[in-house]
Amino acid sequence: MSVFIESIGFGLVTASVLAIAAVGFTVQFAVTNVLNLAYASIMIASAFVAYAVNQAGVSVWVALVAAAAAGAVISMVVNQFIYAPFQRRGTSPIGLVIVSLGLLLIIEYLVQALEGPVNVSYTMSQGATVIVGDFNFTVVQFVIIGLSVAFMVGLHLLLRYTRFGKALRATAADRTLARNCGIRTGRVVLLACLITGALCGVAGTVFAINAGTFAATSADLFLVMILAAVFLGGPGQPYGAMVGAVVIGVATEASAALITADYKYVVAFVILLVVLAFRPGGLFTAGARS
Amino acid sequence: MTWNRAADPGSDFASPPGAGPSRPRRRIPALALGIAVIAIALTAASGAVAARTSPAGRTAAGVRAASGSPLVIADLAPFTGVDAALGPIYDASCLAATHQINLAGGVLGHDLTCKTFDTRGDPADAVPAAHQMFATTPNLALVIGCTSDEAASVVPIINANKMVMFCMTGQSEFDHIHYPYFFRLVPPDLEEAYAMIDIAHFFKHFTRIALAFGNDIGSQTFVGPAIAAIHKVGLKLVANQTLDLSATTFRTEAATVLAGHPQVVVTEALGSADATFLSELKQLNGGKMIPVIGTSATISPAWFLSVARAIGAKTLANNFWADNLVVNTAGAAFKGFEAAMAAVKSQTKGDGSFSTLLSAPGAVHLYDGMNLAALAMIEAKSTTPSAYKADLIKIGDGVPGAVVVNTFAEGVAALKRGKAIRYVGPGGPTSFDSYHDSPGIFQIDRYRPNGSVLVAADIPTSQLRAVS
Repeated sequence: MSVFIESIGFGLVTASVLAIAAVGFTVQFAVTNVLNLAYASIMIASAFVAYAVNQAGVSVWVALVAAAAAGAVISMVVNQFIYAPFQRRGTSPIGLVIVSLGLLLIIEYLVQALEGPVNVSYTMSQGATVIVGDFNFTVVQFVIIGLSVAFMVGLHLLLRYTRFGKALRATAADRTLARNCGIRTGRVVLLACLITGALCGVAGTVFAINAGTFAATSADLFLVMILAAVFLGGPGQPYGAMVGAVVIGVATEASAALITADYKYVVAFVILLVVLAFRPGGLFTAGARS
Repeated sequence: MTWNRAADPGSDFASPPGAGPSRPRRRIPALALGIAVIAIALTAASGAVAARTSPAGRTAAGVRAASGSPLVIADLAPFTGVDAALGPIYDASCLAATHQINLAGGVLGHDLTCKTFDTRGDPADAVPAAHQMFATTPNLALVIGCTSDEAASVVPIINANKMVMFCMTGQSEFDHIHYPYFFRLVPPDLEEAYAMIDIAHFFKHFTRIALAFGNDIGSQTFVGPAIAAIHKVGLKLVANQTLDLSATTFRTEAATVLAGHPQVVVTEALGSADATFLSELKQLNGGKMIPVIGTSATISPAWFLSVARAIGAKTLANNFWADNLVVNTAGAAFKGFEAAMAAVKSQTKGDGSFSTLLSAPGAVHLYDGMNLAALAMIEAKSTTPSAYKADLIKIGDGVPGAVVVNTFAEGVAALKRGKAIRYVGPGGPTSFDSYHDSPGIFQIDRYRPNGSVLVAADIPTSQLRAVS
């Protein structure tokens, strides 16, 4: 029983990392209408930027800022110079998915060509272990959970209580209508790419901190978990992605404790399939009409 | 709060202002072309196929190479994927062996070169890589690599092409299926599994064992024999966890292992898995490391580097043992190997301590395999695999009255004097059975904090038989 309860705690750590990544992914999707599979490779590229800064003697927590900046710039460049031109040409959504899949491989191979097929780790301490009941966390894991909560609250405030948030929501709901209402949707998309790209960079670094060691292709399986969290909550729904991240993260670890670690990812996806069978649009899509 | 998208999906984003589909741009073809060029360049750079030289002319296996043209040794192994650390070790060995062989005059007027083919550690990728190797490699004379990840799929292909191969697989199926062109200088995996349990039982006197192996073919092959050995000698198996090599945390697996209160964890999970798993195990155990026993694959620069970074080099040095094939670190054979490796150090691609490489089985034993093959070609006066493979066994196992030689140069000199030779390299003497397996004998290795390897003890054959 204690391993099961302990696994819930591990699931919360995984969910925290997943939430940052999934929320960035889903907001980007909502605004750009591109299912950006290259997101995982941008995460890892950003994590390597943080690694380079960290290896120069800078704390990884400061390097997190560099990773956020790198993620923002790469995401903006990718959207403005690759996805947007394809969209202007009328490329179908599935065509854009294939383009993003190609980009995923290109960026991964680029990172691998630069860094080699090696596993690297940040120079940092995981901090002391804190035991609370059957839960077992390191200080770093507490920081990761705290960071995730802070980003979720920050994003909620941004979306709900700022003019930009309202413009972003309007653009995501209907870009043409938003434009006709005077919202400069091009600028909104650009800023949204920068913000979600920064989240992507943070997610990559936090993912690498949590894993302890990482390589160019480390986020491949994590991308599938991001997609699961996003589609569980409803694509384009940031609050859905938060809930989806918690469900997927906890289900993955808890199933490893209850059943066997061999099938922990399978169990998470069985949950996804069951939910989608009853609510095809995901948990947070109004009326499950999709 | 939910965001309800427009009823006409795509209509808004497909046609942003001033840029509708009716206004074609030239940017897309240029962009697509650019992406394609980058993709091709990166694929080449990442090592799907990487040639060190460009030998002229193509020769199918079994056909004599054109006079003076370089002979190619193909390293068919993982260079990407979770077992990406394996290919570069074999490549380093190839560079060292060919360097020494070329310095000594080459083989029958040919220099030797190395060429790498990436299997990604996946049988599905390995088959096209093997076909590509035969289709594109002129003067192919020998194949090395073929790890457990891909051996089952590529060995039949290589054998059908009548090409000699030295494979780094311990899979038991090769103990009883005869492939005339298949050779290996590594033991069956079940022997290695016994060796690890031998270390736990006889050397460290542990009684509570946990297993944590990767979910790849090469790692899972140890699990069955290890469990059988644990039961045979009356030890207690307290946990058996499979580590998904593509996962990024193993906390629940580590907690499950700890719940069994093991005295030792027996493991092989390459890539980043062991580093992450062992660091989480240490963390969940209150910062105290549980002793670890690894396979010979864990004697690798990349494995040491990633695990040492994750749990600390001193912690690893104090708590780790691995079975390994005997490496004769004293004598002319090892000195020659060491000198050859040092000469090509700047060309090696792998990560981690160079000194670890000097004990890595993939470096030492393939070096021996390449020297054996080169000497066999000279003895047979042919670079054709079907012609020289019989001499390979003769030179490896020796014949009565054979002169023992420790390097390629010594072997060539003795052959020129008309002597029969037996090659004994840094990996020790060979003893090929009818399936061309030369299992060797085991030793127990440990790491120093700087990554160099020290031999803790040998494993007597009698002990090994007691657990098997």
